Amino acid sequence: MIKTITNLTYVTGIIFLFFTGSQITDAGTLEEVRERGKLRCGIVESSPGFSSVNDAGQRVGFDIDHCKTISAAVFGEIRIEYVPVTPHTVFTLLQSGGIDIFPGGATWSFIRDVSMGLDYTGVYLYAGQGFLVRRDAGVKSVADLDGATICIAQGTTLEQNMADYFDDHGMSYTPVTFADMDKGLQAYHADRCDAFTNERMSTAGRIALWPDRAEHLILDDVISKEPFGALVRQDDPRWRDIALWSFNARIAAEELGVNQENVDAVRENTRNAEIQRLLGVHGEFGEKLGLSNDWAYHIIKLVGNYNDLWERNFTPLGVRRGLNASWKDGGLHSALPFR
Amino acid sequence: MQAGKTGACIRHCRSGDSEQGPGVSMMKRDVVYQAALLFIIGAVVYLVALTTQENLARLGVDSSIDFLWKRAGFEIGQKLIPFDAESTIARAFMVALLNTLLLAAVSIVCASVLGAIIGLARLSGNWLVSRLATAYIEIFRNIPSLLQIFFWYFVVLRTLPRSDESIEFFNCIFLNNRGLFVPAVSPGQGWEWIAAALFFGWAMIYFLRRQERRRHAAAGFKRAETTGTNPLASWNLLLLAGVAGVVILVGGAQWDVPREARFGYRGGLVMMPEFLSLVVGLSMYNATYIGEIVRSAFTSLPRGQTEAAASLGLPRHLTIRLVLFPQALRVIVPPLTTVYLNLFKSTSLAAAIAYPEVVSVFVGTVNNLVGQPVFIMAITMAVYVFISLCIALFLNWYNRKIALTVVS
Repeated sequence: MIKTITNLTYVTGIIFLFFTGSQITDAGTLEEVRERGKLRCGIVESSPGFSSVNDAGQRVGFDIDHCKTISAAVFGEIRIEYVPVTPHTVFTLLQSGGIDIFPGGATWSFIRDVSMGLDYTGVYLYAGQGFLVRRDAGVKSVADLDGATICIAQGTTLEQNMADYFDDHGMSYTPVTFADMDKGLQAYHADRCDAFTNERMSTAGRIALWPDRAEHLILDDVISKEPFGALVRQDDPRWRDIALWSFNARIAAEELGVNQENVDAVRENTRNAEIQRLLGVHGEFGEKLGLSNDWAYHIIKLVGNYNDLWERNFTPLGVRRGLNASWKDGGLHSALPFR
Repeated sequence: MQAGKTGACIRHCRSGDSEQGPGVSMMKRDVVYQAALLFIIGAVVYLVALTTQENLARLGVDSSIDFLWKRAGFEIGQKLIPFDAESTIARAFMVALLNTLLLAAVSIVCASVLGAIIGLARLSGNWLVSRLATAYIEIFRNIPSLLQIFFWYFVVLRTLPRSDESIEFFNCIFLNNRGLFVPAVSPGQGWEWIAAALFFGWAMIYFLRRQERRRHAAAGFKRAETTGTNPLASWNLLLLAGVAGVVILVGGAQWDVPREARFGYRGGLVMMPEFLSLVVGLSMYNATYIGEIVRSAFTSLPRGQTEAAASLGLPRHLTIRLVLFPQALRVIVPPLTTVYLNLFKSTSLAAAIAYPEVVSVFVGTVNNLVGQPVFIMAITMAVYVFISLCIALFLNWYNRKIALTVVS
C-alpha cells in the first residue's frame, strides 16, 4: 500500500515536471503561497520527536514546528497543508512545485545543493549517523561491527556514508536496504540484522516506546556529520531568504533572551535595538522580505525560539542539546545579526 | 470435428483473409491514417521530451546519463555478479536487474506448479480437497499482494531461529533468520570441469533420446511420449550424477562451506529471507489466478474427451497427461501470459522489504545519490517494458506452436 501511494505521488510529481514546469518561475513562491492561502509543507510521517500525531489528532514535532515557523512568517497564523513525502518523492515534489519547502531531515551535502536545482536554508539541526545494536552482542564501538549484517533505510546519504566508513577502515558488512526506516527498524527488532544505522536522534525517537528498549544501545560513535537544512527550489532567491531568516529569527531570539512566553512583554518594554528590529518595533525588515514587519514576532509568539522547540519536542525523549546548543553554551548554533 | 476446424480457422486464418479482402484504395487510406497517427504521437513525445529537458535545465538539475559510469559508492546485499562500492552505477543496475530476473523466474516456476495443483484440486471429485482449494483461492486472491509479502516476511523472520540456534543439515547447510546458507563451489577450483561434465552428460542424454525416438519410430509409434513411459528417465539422472561425481572426485573441486563467524555465518551461497518470503508471497498470490485458469481450461473441454479416454481404458493420470492437458494448454497459455506479466511487474514490490531489485536499487538508492528522477524512471520503465515484451513474445510463440500442432 505504502509503495502504491509512493509511486502515485512520484508519477504525479513527474507529470508536474512535464506540464506545469513552465509556470513555476512566473509567479514567486511567496505570491503563490499567499494566493493559495496555505503553505504546502513536505513532511515525513511518524517520526517521533520530528513529526507525529498526538492524542488529540494534531501533528506535532520538530519538523512540524519548522512548517509552522514559515507559515507564521508569511500569514501571521498557522495555515498549512501538510504533504506527506518519502525519500523517493521529496526531490521531485520540490523541483516540480508540489511542495514549497521541505524541513524533514535532508542532509546539506555538496551534490544535493549543486546539482538538484534545490537550495538549503541554513542548518536547523546538527545530526549524525550512528548505530543501534543489541547490548548482548558485545559491540562497544563501530569498529566491532566488522562482518556484521546492517539494516539501513534508503533516501539519504546514509548508504554512502556507511560504505565509505567501512571501506576506509578495511571492514566488511552486508547491507539490508529498506525503502523506509520503520520497516528497517522492525526487521532489526526481529533480529534480521546485527545493527541498524540511521541518524541517531530519529532512531532514539522511534525506539523510545519499545518495551525492550533497555536491551538496545545506540553507540556513541558518529560516522558522519548530518547537518539538516530545509530545502527550497533554487530559482526563487527571495523565498530562500524568507526561510533562512525565519529559522534564524528563532536562534537570534534565544540569544537575545526572547521566548514564546515573554515575547509580548519584551516587545512592549525592551530598549535593545536589535530586539526592536527583530520584533518589528523599529525598522522595516519584514517589508524588505515581502512580509509584514512583525513577521518574526509571529514566529516567536506562535512557535517559539529554538530552545522552546527543543524542550517541546526532544526533551521528553531524553535527548540533550549537545552540538545543537547555542554558541554561548558551547554548541554550534549562532545567529546571523539582524542589522 | 467440423466445428472445431472452423473455430481454428477463425483464429488462425483471419489475418490472411483480410489481406486479400479490402480494395487497394482502402489500404492506401489506412496507410495515410496510420502514418498521420504515428507522426502525431512522435511529435507529442518529442515535445514532452523537449519541455522536460528545458525545465530540468532551468531548474539546474543535471540531465545526462553520465552518472551511469560514476563510482557507485554503496553496497548491495545480494549480488549474482561481483560488485562493490568501487563498481560503476551501471554495474549496480545489472546486479539489481539480475536479482529481479532471478526472483521473477523462481516465482513464475513456483506459481505455475502450485497453480496447476490448485486448479486440478478444485476439479477433484474429493469434496474436502476441492473445497480446500476453493478456500485457498478465495482467501489469497482477495488480499493485496503487498500485504501478503509483508506478512510472509515478518512470519519468516519471527519463526526462523537466531543465528546461534541455526537449524543444521549435515553440518554444512544452515537455516536461520539471516537466510539459508548452503555450500557453494569455489570459483576457479574445478567448477568449470563440473560445468563441462554436466554439458557432456546432457549431450549424451540428448543423443540417447534421439536414438530411442528413432527406435520407436521404426517400431511404428509417432512419438516416444505416446507410450506414456520413458524407460531411460532414471538412467539419464544416474548418468548426469555419475559423470559430475567422477569429475568432482578426480578434479578435486573445492566446496565453500558456510562457517560460523563473529556475526552469523560467512561463505557459501546465501538465500536471503527477503528472497524466500517474496517467492512464497508472489507464488501464493499468483497461483490463485493460475489455478482458476487451469480449472476453466479443463472445464471447457468436452466431457466426451474424458469419457472416450476412459472407454479406451486409460488410467486417470494418463487421461490428464495425454488427452486433457495438451488440449487444455491451448486455452491456458493466452491468459497465463497476463499472469506471468503481472507477476514479473509485481517483483517491484520487493523494494518494500529490502530485496535489492531494480526499483529498490535504481529508483531508490541511485536516485537519492544522483537526483535525476526523470532519467532514472525512464530507464527503469524502459527495462520493464522490454522484458515484459520478451515474456509476451515468447509465450505468444509458444502459443502458436502448440495451437498449430493440435489443429493439424
